[in-house]
Amino acid sequence: MAERAVPQRVPPVAVPRPRTRPWTLALLLVGLAVVYAYGWKVTQIDLGDLVTKAPLVKPLVRDLVRPDLVTWAPRLQEAAAGFAFFPAIPPSVETPPGGPRLLLSSPVGQPGQRLVVRGEGFAPNRSGELLWEDQSGSRARAAAFRTDGQGQFAVTLTVPDLIGQSHRLIAQVQVGGRVLRPSQTLTLVAARIVETIFLALMGTTIAVVFAVPLSFLAAKNLMRGPVGTLVYGVVRTVLNILRSIEPLIMATVFAVWVGIGPFAGVLALALHSVASLGKLYSEQIESIDPGPIEAITATGASPLQVIRYAVIPQIVPPFIAFTIYRWDINVRMSTVIGMVGGGGVGFLLMQYINLLQWQQAATAVWAITLVVAAMDYLSAAIRERVV
Amino acid sequence: MKGAAVRVEHLVKVFPDGTRALDDVSFAVRPGEFLIVIGLSGSGKSTLLRCINRLIEPTSGKVYIDDVDVTALPPDALRRLRRQIGMIFQQFNLVKRSSVLTNVLAGRLGYLPPSQALLNYFPRDEVARALANLERVGIAEKARTRADQLSGGQQQRVGIARALMQEPRLILADEPVASLDPATSHSILKYVEELNRTEGITVICSLHFLSLARRYGTRVIALKQGRLVFEGLPHEIDERRFREIYGEEAVEVEIA
Repeated sequence: MAERAVPQRVPPVAVPRPRTRPWTLALLLVGLAVVYAYGWKVTQIDLGDLVTKAPLVKPLVRDLVRPDLVTWAPRLQEAAAGFAFFPAIPPSVETPPGGPRLLLSSPVGQPGQRLVVRGEGFAPNRSGELLWEDQSGSRARAAAFRTDGQGQFAVTLTVPDLIGQSHRLIAQVQVGGRVLRPSQTLTLVAARIVETIFLALMGTTIAVVFAVPLSFLAAKNLMRGPVGTLVYGVVRTVLNILRSIEPLIMATVFAVWVGIGPFAGVLALALHSVASLGKLYSEQIESIDPGPIEAITATGASPLQVIRYAVIPQIVPPFIAFTIYRWDINVRMSTVIGMVGGGGVGFLLMQYINLLQWQQAATAVWAITLVVAAMDYLSAAIRERVV
Repeated sequence: MKGAAVRVEHLVKVFPDGTRALDDVSFAVRPGEFLIVIGLSGSGKSTLLRCINRLIEPTSGKVYIDDVDVTALPPDALRRLRRQIGMIFQQFNLVKRSSVLTNVLAGRLGYLPPSQALLNYFPRDEVARALANLERVGIAEKARTRADQLSGGQQQRVGIARALMQEPRLILADEPVASLDPATSHSILKYVEELNRTEGITVICSLHFLSLARRYGTRVIALKQGRLVFEGLPHEIDERRFREIYGEEAVEVEIA
């Protein structure tokens, strides 16, 4: 290819290649061997233990791969009736036609009164029980009964001193067979996992709201002049300090401040994420191509228009990528932040481990794994579409 | 007359590190001229062009565009004047991740109220104008493509379309074909030449290849180490003058 007009050049002289001396290399290897031997000793690596003590962990692993997910509950026929302490009005209870019914001698009364309870439409010759459900929702067993050949029964009981004014009396008859129900562990873990997911979401979102404006203040190429340089220095230093503080420590502090629970977790995640995102965003701003800025300034655009059309399109895709990356990390962190009082599934997991309830712990671990994997997949999909 | 007249008087630019990029440069450009600026890399060509629209602030000296002192304008007036000066760059300077259409529309920003453009809203007639300009440079079908998916020559044509959006009276071209192959270089310069001939837009264009200068320019100035060393017609550059501009060891090489 024809070159531009250039002065004539002298051909380059061959340069001798440097060689590493053999015994320098040997010395280096010996040094490394010493370091690693010492490291082996300090960390107490014992491969023999790994093999011989493997059977110890068998029961634990066996439990971990059988999480407590479902329980068999007996199939029940249920009917309810409302009861209230005078002068309150008893709650209305839905009775589907054709189904079992519960009849009370009186729908209102006082503690200590005698109450005759009659049931009909149940399965014949089965055992069952009566439960009081007070206004706070807690249930207590009142009496047991047996249905006769026509599926009826009658029980007389004394009205107990219940909390609140308006209650329900529930009759449950076992009709045989089993039904699969989510176990209590699963219900608890599910509720905490939802909390965990939102912990990460809220924490990341709050962080983004603050990190974006801060990042402009921490970008060297935008903060020029004496005032700008000062602001840049201050913001950068603050962000660096915040980034070095472990989120778990922050969560402990917030747990004392606003109380144990997800709010502390959100605050801890948000604060740490602001620092991390602020740094990532500002580095991106500092590395943008100045060419488009020059070009758009040359068209007579105002500074704001220049930012909108030359700066922002260059930084939005990386910003989104960083945000998703941070969201990923926060999801993982939110699962453990409960261990220091930050809400979420971490606290539950720790409890199960401390009580050596490995199957319950397994439920929590499986749930965490599922959530993290799902978030990974989602974030990769978003990144592909946008960036 | 559409084209602007440009007058540069005793322009000096000294950078903070002491480099004297421009040393007392003075010349005039008549309306409708195609002025070519030649010289070695580092001779001050890019600095000169950027001083004309004040992307770089001159240390001293004056620049007049149609008798308006550019160097003394306040920011608002400068922006209004820049609207009439289109600029194309060696590295194209497109926003890579934006579509070709958005890049071209950005050329009109000087004429649009700030509030409108912030929401990425362009009036329909502006969009039509952008498409028409893309049609003019022959790449209307690439309007929705991402800018970085085009070839070098296509990207420079987008740059030209963007400049055309300003309905400029002066076009500054900073080594517009230095990154392109010979055939594409000719094609780009032909577009610029056509704008110069048919619409009378004044063009100041810096180039590396003397053969291109001879082919396209109506007048040539040469810079050497920030100083003006030649001013005249392209064919007046004989071998002696060539060596004066490029140095004693220089050999002219043809671009096909």
